[in-house]
Amino acid sequence: MKRLSNWMHLGLALIAIFTLASCSNDGTNKGVGVAGDAAQKVYVAPGEKDEFYNFVSGGFSGQLAVYGIPSGRLFRVIPVFSVDPEKGYGFTEETKPMLNTSHGFVPWDDAHHTDLSQTGGVADGKWLFINGNNTPRIARIDLTDFRTKEIIEIPNSAGNHSSPFSTENSEYVVAGTRFTVPIPNADIPISEYAEKFKGALSFVKVDKTTGRMEIAFQLIVPGFDYDLARAGKGPSHDWMFMTCYNTERASTMKEINASQNDKDFILAINWKKCEELAAQGKGTMANVEYAHNVYNDETHSATSTIKTSVRVLTSDDIKEALYYIPTPKSPHGCDVDPTGELIVGGGKLATVIPVMSFSKMLKAIASGKSDKIIDGIRVLPYKDCLAGEVQRPGLGPLHTEFDGKGYAYTSMFVSSEIVKWSLKDFKVVDRIPTYYSIGHLSIPGGNSTKPWGKYVIAYNKMTKDRYLPTGPELTQSAQLYDISGEKMKLLLDFPTIGEPHYAVAMPAALIMKQSRKMYQLMENKHPYVTRKEADTKVVRNGNDVHVYMTSIRSHLSPDNIEGIRVGDKVYWHVTNLEQDWDVPHGFAVIGNNNSELLIMPGETCTLLWEPKKAGVFPFYCTDFCSALHQEMQGYVRVSNGGNVALSWNKK
Amino acid sequence: MKVYTLRVLVVLMSLITATGFIVSCTPQAGESQEKAPSFAETQKPKAVYGKIQKVSVGATIDLDMAHEGKEIFEVKCMACHKYDERYVGPALGKVLERRTPEYVMNMILDTETMIDNDDTAKCLMQEYLMRMPNQDVTEKDARNVLEHLRDHAATSK
Repeated sequence: MKRLSNWMHLGLALIAIFTLASCSNDGTNKGVGVAGDAAQKVYVAPGEKDEFYNFVSGGFSGQLAVYGIPSGRLFRVIPVFSVDPEKGYGFTEETKPMLNTSHGFVPWDDAHHTDLSQTGGVADGKWLFINGNNTPRIARIDLTDFRTKEIIEIPNSAGNHSSPFSTENSEYVVAGTRFTVPIPNADIPISEYAEKFKGALSFVKVDKTTGRMEIAFQLIVPGFDYDLARAGKGPSHDWMFMTCYNTERASTMKEINASQNDKDFILAINWKKCEELAAQGKGTMANVEYAHNVYNDETHSATSTIKTSVRVLTSDDIKEALYYIPTPKSPHGCDVDPTGELIVGGGKLATVIPVMSFSKMLKAIASGKSDKIIDGIRVLPYKDCLAGEVQRPGLGPLHTEFDGKGYAYTSMFVSSEIVKWSLKDFKVVDRIPTYYSIGHLSIPGGNSTKPWGKYVIAYNKMTKDRYLPTGPELTQSAQLYDISGEKMKLLLDFPTIGEPHYAVAMPAALIMKQSRKMYQLMENKHPYVTRKEADTKVVRNGNDVHVYMTSIRSHLSPDNIEGIRVGDKVYWHVTNLEQDWDVPHGFAVIGNNNSELLIMPGETCTLLWEPKKAGVFPFYCTDFCSALHQEMQGYVRVSNGGNVALSWNKK
Repeated sequence: MKVYTLRVLVVLMSLITATGFIVSCTPQAGESQEKAPSFAETQKPKAVYGKIQKVSVGATIDLDMAHEGKEIFEVKCMACHKYDERYVGPALGKVLERRTPEYVMNMILDTETMIDNDDTAKCLMQEYLMRMPNQDVTEKDARNVLEHLRDHAATSK
C-alpha cells in the first residue's frame, strides 16, 4: 500500500513537471527560464578571458575536458585513461607506461568523477583527481601543465565508482567499489554472491608537497554497491560519507532486485580512526597486484611499477569507525554542506531528499541504539540521524551542491530539472528545467567550505533536439544557469566531449598564473635529450637505432639519415629546442604504426618506428610552426641488409 | 572610376609602406657578406629599441663571461646561427662590427620590440622571413653571449 501511494506521488509530480517544461509555439523546446540578458552574461569578448575553469569528466571517453565559464568554450582535452593520438598520449615511449595495469596495457577506460585538491576545504589549484571506473584507478592531474602525472590502480576493487573524493586537506582521496567481488578474487559460483562477495573501500594517501599517491589502507565491508562519497568538513572533518545501494545483495537483474528495500545506506566512515588503527598495525597485509604509474617532470617519462601488497582492515578491526545510516532509496549523491553539519542523500528512487545531521549522528552513535547489525556494523536509526526531508522535490534526486548563501541545488534526473531548496527549513524555493535528463551538476566550489555561488552547471545525459543533428550520435551537452538572484535563469547550452559525467569548477585567477609555459632545456633530464644541435647523432645498438634529433623553427636535425635496415627498431628521440610559449613541433615518419609526436618547447618525445620496406622515406614536422614549416622535413634511407653504413648529416 | 580606385589604392599602399611594418630596405647582399650596411644603418644617430638602453663593455674581454656565453650560444642560438655563414639567421661571428652591443642584447632579449620598431631588424625580417624565436634567455646569459661573440671575433681574426 505504501509503495502504491509512492507511485501515485511520482505520477502527480510527473504531470506537474511536463506541464512546466512544455513546448514553445514552433514546436521546439527552447527552454523555460532563459534570462533576457543571457547573451550579455555569457559573452566573453575577443581577447578577454573566462572567469572560471570548468573541469569536466569525459565519461566513457576516459578523458578530462577543460571549459571556460561563462562562455562554455572548450580549451583542452587532457588525456587520462585513454590514448590520445593528438597528443601522443599512450603512443609515445614516454607515456605508454601511464596506461599499464595489472591486466596489461589498457588503452581506454571510463572516467567518472572529478575532485580538486583542497586546503581547509577549499580548492587550492594544485591537482585534480579523476577516477577510472572500469579497470579501477585514480589519476592525478597537475594543474600547472594540465597533464596526467600519476595513475594508481586499486586492487580488490571491481569498478572504482565511489571515487576520487578528497578529504578536507586532501589527506586522502577515496576509492569505493561499485561492483563487489570475492576478496581475494576467486573462481567461485556467482550464486555465492550474498555470502562471499565483499566491497573494498580504499584510502589513498596524497603527499602534501609532491601529490604522490599511495594506498594507505583498504576497508573490507559488506557486499553492497558503493556509489558516491563526500568527505566531512569542519566538525565532521574526520569522516567520509559514502552512499551504497543493492543492500539486497542481488547479483542479477539489479534494476528490479536491487530496488526492493525502501532504504539503503549512507556509510559513515571515521577515516581518522581507521588511520590510527592502521598505524597501530591493525589488519593484515594482503597479497595483491596493482600498477602505480608516475610521470617524471624532469625526465619527461613515465614509469610503471607493479606493487604487491596492501593493508586490509575488516569490519572486525574497525568496528567503532563504521556506521550505516538508512537512506531512501537507492541513493546516489552524498553531499556535505559547507558547514560540515548536513549530509544530503540523493535517493534516485526516493520521493524525498533526506538530509542527515552530523551532530545527531554522533548522538545516535553514543546512544548505543541500532536498528540492526550487518557484519558487525551498526545500522543507526534513520529518524535519530535525520535533520529533515525535502518534501516533493521532483523525481530522481541525484546530486546536490551548495551556493554558500544558505541554499542547496539538487539535480533531478527523472524530472529533468534543478531544484533549489533552503538549508534552513528544507523547503523548495525554485525549480528550473534542464534539457534533458540532468545527471550531475556543479557550482564553482559547490562542494567546498566556500562556494563561489554565481553559476550552476547542469551536465545532461540526453541531448535530443538541442543542437544541429549529426546522425544517430549527438553531441553531449551541458547548461549554464545564473544563480546570483532569487530565481535560477538559464544562460547557455554548450556541447561537450564524451559524456559530461561529473565536473568541478574554480576561479581561473587561482590557476592561470601558475600555468607552465615550457620545459627548461637545461633542466631536461630525459635519457635521450639532445640539448644542442651539435650533439645530434644516430647510434646503433644491435637492431635498435636511436636518433638524437632536435627541432627548431624551421628544421629538424639531422635531416638526412642513411644506414637504417629493414627490421630495425628506430627510436626517434626528438627534442624541441624552442624556449618560448606556444611553439610545439610535431614529428611523423611515413608508416609509423603509432601516433605522431607533439613536442612542447624544451621537451623530448620518442616515436618508435619499425620500417618494413627498403626505400627512402620522408619525415616532417606536423604542427604548423612558422612560414617555413613546409620546409621542415627530411629523409631516412632504409636498406635490405647491412651494406650501407650508418650516417647522418651534421650541420 | 576604375582609374580613380587604383589611384586611391596606390596612395593607400604608399602610406602603409611608409608607416607600417614594410620598410624600404636597400637590397642587402646578405648578412653573410658582413659589410654591406643597410639603408637604416646610415641614418644616425639611431634610436635604441628594447629593454636594454645601454650596455657597458669593458676594454678587455672577460673570459669567464665569454666561456659561459659560449655554452648558452651553443644551446640556444646555434641551431639557427653559425659564426661565418648565413644559415636560418645571419652569421654572427663578426656581428659586433656592424651592430651595437645594445642591438645584439635587445635582439636576444626583446625580439618583438626590435622587429616591430627597429628599421634594421625590420629589414632583416623581410630578408629572412622568420621572426627570431624567443629562447627565454636571461639578461645575464645574454650579456655573456655578447662577451662570447666579442671573444670569438677577437680570437678568430
